[in-house]
Amino acid sequence: MGGYRPGWLNGTIAWATVIYLILPITIILPVSLTDQRFLSLPQHALSGEHYARLLTTPAWINAILQSAYIATASTLVAVVLGTLCAIGCWRLSRRSTELVRALMLLPIIIPSIAYAIGLYRYFAGLGLLDSFTGVVIAHGVTGIPYVVITVSTALAAFDPRLESAARGMGASLGQTLRWVILPRIMPGIVSGAIFAFIHSWDELVVVLFIASRRVFTLPRKIWDGINENLDPAMAAVAVLLVGMTVLLLLLDLALRQQRRD
Amino acid sequence: MSAVAGHALSLQGVAKRYGDFTAVQGATLEVGNGEFLTLLGPSGSGKTTILMMIAGFVEPSAGRILLDGRDITALPPERRDFGMVFQGYALFPHMTVAENVAFPLRVRRMSRGDREAKVRAALDLVQLDRFADRRPAQLSGGQQQRVALARALVFDPALLLLDEPLSALDKKLRAELQEELKALHRRVGRTFINVTHDQEEALSLSDRIAILNHGNVVQVGSPEGLYERPATRFVADFLGKSNFIEGEAAPDAGGMALRRGGTVVLARGTAPAGKALLSLRPEKIALLPGGGVEDNVVEGRIAAWSYLGTGYAVTVATQDLGELRVHLPAWRIPVAPSEGLAVRLGWSRDAAVAVAEDAA
Amino acid sequence: MNPRGRHALGWWALIMPAFLLMTAFYVAPILQVLAISVTEPQPGLGNYERLFTSESVQRVIGTTLRIGFITTVISLLLGYVLAYRIALAGPRAQRWWLLAVLVPLWISVLVRAFAWVTLLRRQGLVNEGLLAAGVIEEPLALVWNELGIVIGMVHYMVPYAVLPMLSAMREIDPRVLAAARGLGASRAGAFLRVFLPLSLPGVIAAGVLVFIFSLGFYITPAILGGGKTLMAAEWIKLQILDLIRWGLGAMLATMLVVAILATLAVFSRLVNLRRLFGAGG
Repeated sequence: MGGYRPGWLNGTIAWATVIYLILPITIILPVSLTDQRFLSLPQHALSGEHYARLLTTPAWINAILQSAYIATASTLVAVVLGTLCAIGCWRLSRRSTELVRALMLLPIIIPSIAYAIGLYRYFAGLGLLDSFTGVVIAHGVTGIPYVVITVSTALAAFDPRLESAARGMGASLGQTLRWVILPRIMPGIVSGAIFAFIHSWDELVVVLFIASRRVFTLPRKIWDGINENLDPAMAAVAVLLVGMTVLLLLLDLALRQQRRD
Repeated sequence: MSAVAGHALSLQGVAKRYGDFTAVQGATLEVGNGEFLTLLGPSGSGKTTILMMIAGFVEPSAGRILLDGRDITALPPERRDFGMVFQGYALFPHMTVAENVAFPLRVRRMSRGDREAKVRAALDLVQLDRFADRRPAQLSGGQQQRVALARALVFDPALLLLDEPLSALDKKLRAELQEELKALHRRVGRTFINVTHDQEEALSLSDRIAILNHGNVVQVGSPEGLYERPATRFVADFLGKSNFIEGEAAPDAGGMALRRGGTVVLARGTAPAGKALLSLRPEKIALLPGGGVEDNVVEGRIAAWSYLGTGYAVTVATQDLGELRVHLPAWRIPVAPSEGLAVRLGWSRDAAVAVAEDAA
Repeated sequence: MNPRGRHALGWWALIMPAFLLMTAFYVAPILQVLAISVTEPQPGLGNYERLFTSESVQRVIGTTLRIGFITTVISLLLGYVLAYRIALAGPRAQRWWLLAVLVPLWISVLVRAFAWVTLLRRQGLVNEGLLAAGVIEEPLALVWNELGIVIGMVHYMVPYAVLPMLSAMREIDPRVLAAARGLGASRAGAFLRVFLPLSLPGVIAAGVLVFIFSLGFYITPAILGGGKTLMAAEWIKLQILDLIRWGLGAMLATMLVVAILATLAVFSRLVNLRRLFGAGG
């Protein structure tokens, strides 16, 4: 905004806010490398022992693998269904599809606690409590909004005449999807997949209600850890979790950058 | 595809309504085998809606569309086998020129070998063989338009539909591509249906023109026929420019005579006695030298004039006929025009033609 | 040129799988919550009467609204300043600022709550640091109370506040500000009379978003509140998992959903969720 500079007060508060946002997240890195047996900054030297303990404890490894499995499967569900739905709504584009799109956004708006208690009873009736299928369905359904949003945004920049052109030249709906629409909106789909994956990878509230002994995801393990014993291994898990999220976000950013160039 | 070069299309009372709004009210139109037909009209006249109904993207609210006598009204676009050049071309930006042109063949599951031969032939047809591996974004507007043509023709479509194919180009390029399009039509011998709001384009390209206004087909005919014998005030005014003279008509020996105030204008054709409207093209009026004689002679004064390069546009104020617009080639103007100059205007009986007033 | 009639069937077929799954596994469970709230322990509106009679229910609603309100106000203030700074930054700097907002947005709530505990508890890094520096003699009670909840929740909400406001600020034509200055307005005048009113729709959108997210928040208050300050979500969990009072828990959950949907409906023209996730790119 030409010639319109922020004042010093604005700058100071802005910087302070950013530090407030970032600092707690970065502080876990040194804590995870502490040479002490309790949560603290390293006293004498950096130590990798907490990471080593993490990666040799079967319970932690099991939780990581379970979370990875559930996140992958539920991302697949969310991406396939969310993408097709967003495309259908975009092409039909009428009042009824606007309602469908609003419906698809509900899981972001309605608090997880309300969904979690409903699902607890609902799954009890269906015998899906404490099952991988159940958690994949729950995470898949609640991951759909992220995909619908990013794919709809990608479609808004898509020239609808390309679709008409393909149909006019004899392409069936499937061929049009495969050869014309999907290649053009792929970056939006990938963004949606990344967000849906992070969503499932981090989701706790629903899992707290519908899982017990068999399904033990990483967030649940951390939750128990925080409530029972605060030890530096927790910081090590947190660092791994943050690392994963940052990596995926940077990937998304790089993809968006590429799309712009 | 059959050996027949083109196909005949017939619209029977085709209408499109959106709620209370009527986009097209009962269009009936025959398009002959191998013909180049243009749908011409101002924006909002329903011409694009008609094209989209022919293509199958818009379902008619009433009426039937027949191809060679077969009813195709309910057929979805992908089953109609029509080639189409979209406004702005709608080339696939993520595919090369060759891939774009191969697309209609790919969806028809043609073998790779046959596909390549056909694509090469189609690109040759529009002289773009050297650009096969470029992306659409790397081509000029004219080249993109030719890719769109190649893509629309490569699968030997029954009809070629063109939606304002030249509107995105600048004026000079447009004239060039008009020539090319006309030559292409002669070469491939298929039925072309073109939509435009540009009357010059319509006049120079078409075998026949259908003029549309407010969702109605107002008049259909050859370019010369429409220009020389417009049926209504709208057609006369939209296709070129025209002076209009209103008066009381009466038959006379050579055609008709129209009286307005103290002036009688002779025109061809017949009109029932009573109120009538004449259309008189500005370029059919001459400035008469001193003793010149014509079927119609009117005196007046120059109210305004401007130089156009190819000639002059002069507005002459007359006693009974109001202001008349006159277009004069530079070599046919006997005096230098100036405001207030007294002149005599003359035109032959054949120059004026009776037209109907537009339905409200 | 939208397909109608039979031409539209194929497109509806694309929508159907998501629609059916969402109906069967999202809408149905939510409706079940509503059903439970009027049928258990016995049919009727007994659970809803508690809204007016039970002090515990009223206290939890009061706490939730109070913390939601405080969180919203602080998040909006910090978020506005940050969004303003980002809007005025150059394109390169803007990318870095934005990253600083987006990364926390996507970091696990659990990890963030854990980090705050590490920092704020009695033997935490902040208290240890202050004690060592001699600023305080007794450790401060920074967490496991309402203060801890607000610190954690504001941390979560600031990014959600920044994005809609930034999006509104970006739509302001910078020439308007230049014009205001050119017409003799001071810096503060140009800000107060021109920039602030133009960015107001973004502020309202951000406020609605942050407030409705705060109402149903579970993890952060549960960890940083230490069980002493109960907000709605944790209270619901308590009723259902520990006290097995399904009807009462379902009633408050229903109230939560209704309150949130009603707020959104009122402000529906201002809150555009799609903007939130488009802002990064």
